[in-house]
Amino acid sequence: MKIRVERDNLADAVAWVAKSLPTRPSVPVLGGVLLDAGGDDGDGALTVSGFDYEVSATVSVSATIAEGGKVLVSGRLLADITKALPDQPVDITVDGARVGITCGNARFSLPTMPVEDYPQLPAQPQFVGELDGHAFGEAVAQVAVASGKDDTLPMLTGIRLEISGETLTMVATDRFRLALKEFTWKPADGVTGAAVLVPAKNLADAARSLGAAGSTVRLGLSSGEGMLGLSGPDRHTTTRLLDAEFPPYRKLLPSQYTSRAVLDVPAVTEAIRRVSLVAERGTQVRLEFTEGSLRLAAGGDDEGSAEEELPVTYEGEPVVIAFNPNYLLDGLTALPTDQAELTFTTPNRPALIKPLDDEGKVAAGYLYLLMPVRLPG
Amino acid sequence: MRLVIARCQVDYHGRLTAHLPMATRLVLIKADGSVSIHSDDRAYKPLNWMSPPCWLTEDDGTWTVRNKNGEELVITVDEVLHDSSHELGAEPGLVKDGVEAHLQQLLAEHITTLGEGYTLIRREYPTAIGPVDILCKDADGTTVAVEVKRRGELEGVEQLTRYLELLNRDPLLAPVTGVLAAQQIKPQARTLAEDRGIRCVTLDYDALRGAESDDLRLF
Repeated sequence: MKIRVERDNLADAVAWVAKSLPTRPSVPVLGGVLLDAGGDDGDGALTVSGFDYEVSATVSVSATIAEGGKVLVSGRLLADITKALPDQPVDITVDGARVGITCGNARFSLPTMPVEDYPQLPAQPQFVGELDGHAFGEAVAQVAVASGKDDTLPMLTGIRLEISGETLTMVATDRFRLALKEFTWKPADGVTGAAVLVPAKNLADAARSLGAAGSTVRLGLSSGEGMLGLSGPDRHTTTRLLDAEFPPYRKLLPSQYTSRAVLDVPAVTEAIRRVSLVAERGTQVRLEFTEGSLRLAAGGDDEGSAEEELPVTYEGEPVVIAFNPNYLLDGLTALPTDQAELTFTTPNRPALIKPLDDEGKVAAGYLYLLMPVRLPG
Repeated sequence: MRLVIARCQVDYHGRLTAHLPMATRLVLIKADGSVSIHSDDRAYKPLNWMSPPCWLTEDDGTWTVRNKNGEELVITVDEVLHDSSHELGAEPGLVKDGVEAHLQQLLAEHITTLGEGYTLIRREYPTAIGPVDILCKDADGTTVAVEVKRRGELEGVEQLTRYLELLNRDPLLAPVTGVLAAQQIKPQARTLAEDRGIRCVTLDYDALRGAESDDLRLF
C-alpha cells in the first residue's frame, strides 16, 4: 500500500472512527482501525473503518493511491498521531509488517496487526428513509436526556424509534421522566411501519457526528440481524439494536391538567441552577405557584436554603410541587424554544413540559414528562 | 458483659493523660477484661477505653483499670444508676457474605430475572471442585451455570470458568453456558467474561427483594 491523503481529512476520519472503538478490546484487533485503499486504480478513496461487533463506523477519504492494499493499526495511536501531524499531505506506506506515516519532516513507523483476523464489517442494512441531519441530531439529543443509565434495566437504556409512514417518533424514559419527539421524514418506497430500540449512547454519538455535517442522513434497518444503520456523505455507521421490550408509554401521557404555567425558559433555568446549589446532590427544588408568580425554593432548616421569585403566567389553584432539579433542567434545556408550558394536576402526578412558539401556542413535536418528587412531611 | 450506668469522672494516666469531667455515662466491662466508657453518641466509639489484657480493681467509689504497661484508667464513681451482667455466650461471627447468600436465594426464587423461560434446576449444585451457586435451564432447555457475586471481579469469572469446564464434561448437562450475576460488574471482569462467552447480568438487590424505593415514578 502506498497512498497520499490530506492531513485534515485523514485526522477527521480517524478521530471519528476511533471514537467508537472499545476502550478495553477483548481481542487486540478490535482496537484497530482498518485502512483500505482498494485496488491500484490511481485516484480513488481510502476507507477508514472500525468495528467491535456492536458498533461499526466507516469513512471514505479521497486519496491518491499509488498502490492499493489494506492495513490494520492501533486506532487510538493512529488518532493521536494524525491529530498531531503538521498541515501537509500525509504519505502512508506499508513495508512488511510495519506501516510508515510521513508528513512534512515527521515520520512514524507503527506495527500492524493481521488483517485476516479482523471481523467482516457489517453491510449497511436496508435503506428505510432519510431525514435532515441537523434536525435528526437535535431530535436525538432532546430525547437521549431521558434515557436510563442503569444496566439492570436494559430496555430503559435505549431510544425507541417508531416509523409510521411519514412520521418518525423517538422516545426514551428512565421511569422518572420521559422525552418524546415526533417529526416528519421521507420514508423509502414501501416502508410503512417499524419499531426498534437503539442503545441511546450509540445513537446519540452517531447522530451528533452525522448531524454536525448538516446534510441528509440515511437510515437503514435490519430487524432480522438486529441492526440500525446511519449514513451521511462518506460516513456510515451501524449499531446493534437492543433486544428488549420498551414499556407501553402512550398510556403514561396525561390527557388533562388543572394547572398551567407559562415559563420563560432562560430565566427559569438560571434561577433553578442558582437555587438548587443548596439542594444536596440534586434532592429537590420546590416550585410554589400562585397567581402571577413562581417562587423557587430549595434546601431546608438543617442545611442552606435558597429561594427566588419570578413572574409567570399561571392558571390554577395555588400549589407547591417539587422536582429533581437536574431532571427539570434536562427537560427545560432540551426545549427548542424560549417559552414553555408546564401543566400538571396534583403534586404527586406527572407534569408535562411542552415548548411554546412565538405566538404562545404549543409547538407540536416535543414533550417532556416529569415525575415530581415527594414533598417533605 | 457487664453494663454500668453511672455518674463518673474518668482519668487516664499513661503515654497520654486524658480527663473526662463528672457526667452520666455507660461503662462496658466485657468478658475479655476490656473496659470502655461510652457517652450517648458517636455510635460504637467509646470516649475512653482500655484494651485487654487489663485488670479492674474496684475500691469504694474508685475503679482502677491497669494494663501490663502500668497505664491506668481511673473511674471515680459518684453514683451508680444501673449495674447488670449478662451471659452472651459464644459469638457466631460476622457473616460478611450475607448479602451474597441472600442474592443467590432471591435470584433462585426469581430465576426469570435472567430471561424469559428460565427454570431452576437447583441451588448449590455440587461438583468435584465445589458447589455451583445456581444451575438452571434457559428457554431452549440449555443448561446454564450462574455464579452470584456482590461485586463481579476477575476472580468470579475464573471461578465460573473452572465450573463450566467441569460441567461441560458431563454429557447429561453439556453444553453448559455461564452467567455472572452481580450487583456491580467491574469493566475488566465484564470484558473477560464476554470474551469467554459468559453473559454478565447486573442484579438489582432492592428490586429482587421487592423493596422498591418509594420514589415517585412514572411506572
